[in-house]
Amino acid sequence: MRGAKVATSAPGGIGASVRRPDGPAKVRGEFSYAGDLTAEGMLIGVTLRSPHPHARILSVDTTAARAMDGVHAVLTVDDVPGDRHFGLVLRDEPVLADGVVRYAGEPVAVVAAVDAATARRAARAVEVVYEVLPALTDPQLALTAASVHPDGNVYRHVSYSCGDPDARGVVTVENTYRIGMQDPAFLAPEAGLARPTPDGGVAIEVATQWLHSDQKQIGWATGLPPEKVHVSLAGVGGAFGGREDVTLQTHACLLALATGRPVKIEYTREESFLAHRQRHPGTIWLRHSADADGRIVSVEGRVLLDGGAYASTSPVVITNTVTLLQGPYRVDNGRFEGWSVRTNNPSCGAMRGFGVPQAAFAHEAQLDALAAALDLDPVEIRLTNALQRGDVATFGQRFDAPTPVREVIEGLRAVPLPTGPAKAPGGVGRSAEGGTVRRGVGWAVSIKNLAFSEGHVDESTAEVSLRDGHATVHTACAEVGQGFVTVAEQVARTVLGATTVDVVQPDTLVASAGSTSASRQTMASGTAVHRACLAVRDRMLGRVARAHGLDAATLTVADGVVCAAGRPLGPVATAAPGQTFRATEHFQHPATHPLGSPEGGMYVAFGFSAQRAVVDVDVELGLVSVVQIASCQDVGTVVNPTQLLGQIEGGIVQGMGLALMEEVVVADGLITNPDLQDYLIPTIVDAPEIVSTYVTDPEPGMPHGWKGVGEPPLVTAVPVVAAAVRAATGLPLPAVPIKPEHIALGIGAAPTVTWTTPRPADPDRPRGPVVDEEPHDAPGTMAEEGAPPGP
Amino acid sequence: MSAVENPRTDVAGGTDGADGSVTFGLTVDGTAHEVTARWDESLLTVLRDRLGVRGPKTGCAHGRCGACAVRADLGDGGHVLCACLVPAATAAGGTVETIASIGGPDGALSDVQEAFLAEGAVQCGICTAGFVTAATELLETNPDPTRPEIEAALYGNLCRCTGYGRIIAAVETAARTRRGATS
Ligand code: FES
Ligand code: FES
Repeated sequence: MRGAKVATSAPGGIGASVRRPDGPAKVRGEFSYAGDLTAEGMLIGVTLRSPHPHARILSVDTTAARAMDGVHAVLTVDDVPGDRHFGLVLRDEPVLADGVVRYAGEPVAVVAAVDAATARRAARAVEVVYEVLPALTDPQLALTAASVHPDGNVYRHVSYSCGDPDARGVVTVENTYRIGMQDPAFLAPEAGLARPTPDGGVAIEVATQWLHSDQKQIGWATGLPPEKVHVSLAGVGGAFGGREDVTLQTHACLLALATGRPVKIEYTREESFLAHRQRHPGTIWLRHSADADGRIVSVEGRVLLDGGAYASTSPVVITNTVTLLQGPYRVDNGRFEGWSVRTNNPSCGAMRGFGVPQAAFAHEAQLDALAAALDLDPVEIRLTNALQRGDVATFGQRFDAPTPVREVIEGLRAVPLPTGPAKAPGGVGRSAEGGTVRRGVGWAVSIKNLAFSEGHVDESTAEVSLRDGHATVHTACAEVGQGFVTVAEQVARTVLGATTVDVVQPDTLVASAGSTSASRQTMASGTAVHRACLAVRDRMLGRVARAHGLDAATLTVADGVVCAAGRPLGPVATAAPGQTFRATEHFQHPATHPLGSPEGGMYVAFGFSAQRAVVDVDVELGLVSVVQIASCQDVGTVVNPTQLLGQIEGGIVQGMGLALMEEVVVADGLITNPDLQDYLIPTIVDAPEIVSTYVTDPEPGMPHGWKGVGEPPLVTAVPVVAAAVRAATGLPLPAVPIKPEHIALGIGAAPTVTWTTPRPADPDRPRGPVVDEEPHDAPGTMAEEGAPPGP
Repeated sequence: MSAVENPRTDVAGGTDGADGSVTFGLTVDGTAHEVTARWDESLLTVLRDRLGVRGPKTGCAHGRCGACAVRADLGDGGHVLCACLVPAATAAGGTVETIASIGGPDGALSDVQEAFLAEGAVQCGICTAGFVTAATELLETNPDPTRPEIEAALYGNLCRCTGYGRIIAAVETAARTRRGATS
């Protein structure tokens, strides 16, 4: 493992545990969040939602609601002046229900009134007559059932092979794995405040992840050109993917335009569950074949993700899941297929990990099953198969950047196991004390693609200025809690030697920074800021050179001081009194390409992570206490040690939540637990001790070699917790979340192990990937290939 | 953290309005207010929407997240509670201290606030006021808490960003600082 130290070039620069600039306001309770917004003459907007997962709307009568005192507007789809449809990838989702509702919670009408109570009364007074239709709630049936949307029931079907998928070693293991629906459950429900602008446009302050995407979609619905839709970021209380899609943005703007007044919408927790996108629940069938020494010979996999009622990012997520089924392992022969489908269940989209936690849960269970079948050590089998730089992925991309899979595994191995007593399972009550508690240790390794993929442009722009040592940084990068504001400040201190840095609240007056997702903002917006700072620095040094009659090429900035040929000339703050230097710089990653394109890679970059979990399980009560999770992650470079640790710990605990307790329970299309009483996220009592170590192998092409770090900890935590619980219980546990009854009653089928006659790969088969358009089989036949159905 | 279970009826000032509203006195962060509110409104709504006191946050409005935690004396001796669970009328005549009452002298940060920043216990920060409030109360009653004691004091507060590791570190750091300062 390489050292984690980075030379700090300026106080508070890159590599230091710089404190968040917004921290003091946050600890004082003075930081303004979207929910805190208020304006003179403000109206409150409320949404009327469908109680049915699938129904035809026979009539909507708003007369009584409109006539109520204090009601300023009641809007239905007929009041949408622009395009009635929106969506991140496909425009298939109505702004307000248009004749049909396709999920329970779909917005049908929005109301603006003088206060929330009046608005709610008015929403209840809207008379909607529904003809209830049968709800399509089984994703397997979605492939063959009548379409529940004019665009059909399949968001995307992906199928490809590489090498000879029928090659065999001495053994195959196969099983079907299930992953439940996870809610991002950011702690501040959605909120925003829209107001009409004097030019006939609209401005909205909103807690979002992607300002320009909101701007575009608000423009579609309102019919306004982008320059008349101004989006600025309000304080965001967590996001995790759940704010990537538009929810209330368009409604608030339509109401503000209709009433001529500022309109605020703030969701309740229950509405938040109904309105935003969840993590895709899925079923994954995998068959691995391996040699006697554990080397993987071939992998076959099939994935079915339930995308729910509208597309959101379902067409993109499915490719992530399918292509990364190989895990961080070398796989030369394989066949992979997947579908993301439309149902009348809640819509799913982005959530931290973006399709990869599902894949990781399945491939890591398979690696352990292979190790068990072959009587190998789970760590050794992972080392045997670890990807290395220069290997080619099943999807054809060469890993030509550092690929430290072995290094993260070895780094993790160096962390000692915890000793001594741990807290008993069962929460603060410690309900499980005594003889039925067993300890288990599990391992998991993951691969996560970083940044956007498959041709989606990944870019950002930064405007930086410097005057008398004070820097101003302006991007449209949404700060959602992750700490980009700190990184931007660190870059400005390191490159410019700035003494103070102001990171301007993001808005659409600067070009798009893309979404705060996909672990991408340090790489995209951080690099744009870095480039803009370099340009500003060069302008300043040019001025200093002219003033002193020096050659600008000999001037540098170090520790806040301008140096000539290494000798200090004077502080940056006084280098050019009263002069302002500005620059705007754009950054874009090299283009990516769709799966199967001859041009090359699907993904910008990859991050690798290894974790080891230690759990105590009360095998009679089915209760689990996660004692410790140790992590070793490939992080490129350590930009801010404290913030990095925060990303690792936060991600691990979210992944642990998916592994053990978090599930949006959907029955007949209705969410039965849309509140924090019944949807359980980990508390401080559930959180394990976390030991975090790093491999720092700089990412080529990135300043300081930095790379994204936010998603891998979550991705790995899901399989690692499951592995440890399996080790403690001896149960196969092929589904997450692992519920107490799965343990206590032993629910869940074991992998099928088949001993095979070795069959080498046919050398005439193309290395691949070979993309097929036609499905090989209906996914409903997964179980028939040998794997008994799961729970 | 707990809800007040028995609304008190002995507090003066509860004028019942014709529209189901009540008028009562409430002291918030040292300032006395006369509040008119619907009787079934929560203390959190009174603080945020009627008085413009925005330090306590709304995470769930159902007593499950602790983002709304305040210290309050509603005639029962005073403790940390979820403002979203307290009916406004129950708070009549009471004294409430929000995050705005926590701080060092002359506008400085308290040791707990300082430790939250130093240890990286703040990400999005929507949970922070609640955690700082609960942690401040903990250290006043137990200056040297063990990890289980910290967990028992803070398990009513949810944080979705940090995974709690830095929050525990911050409470331990604040406790150490305080013990060092007083010994
Ligand atoms: S808002 Fe009061 S506990 Fe969540
Ligand atoms: S810092 Fe975001 S919820 Fe705690």
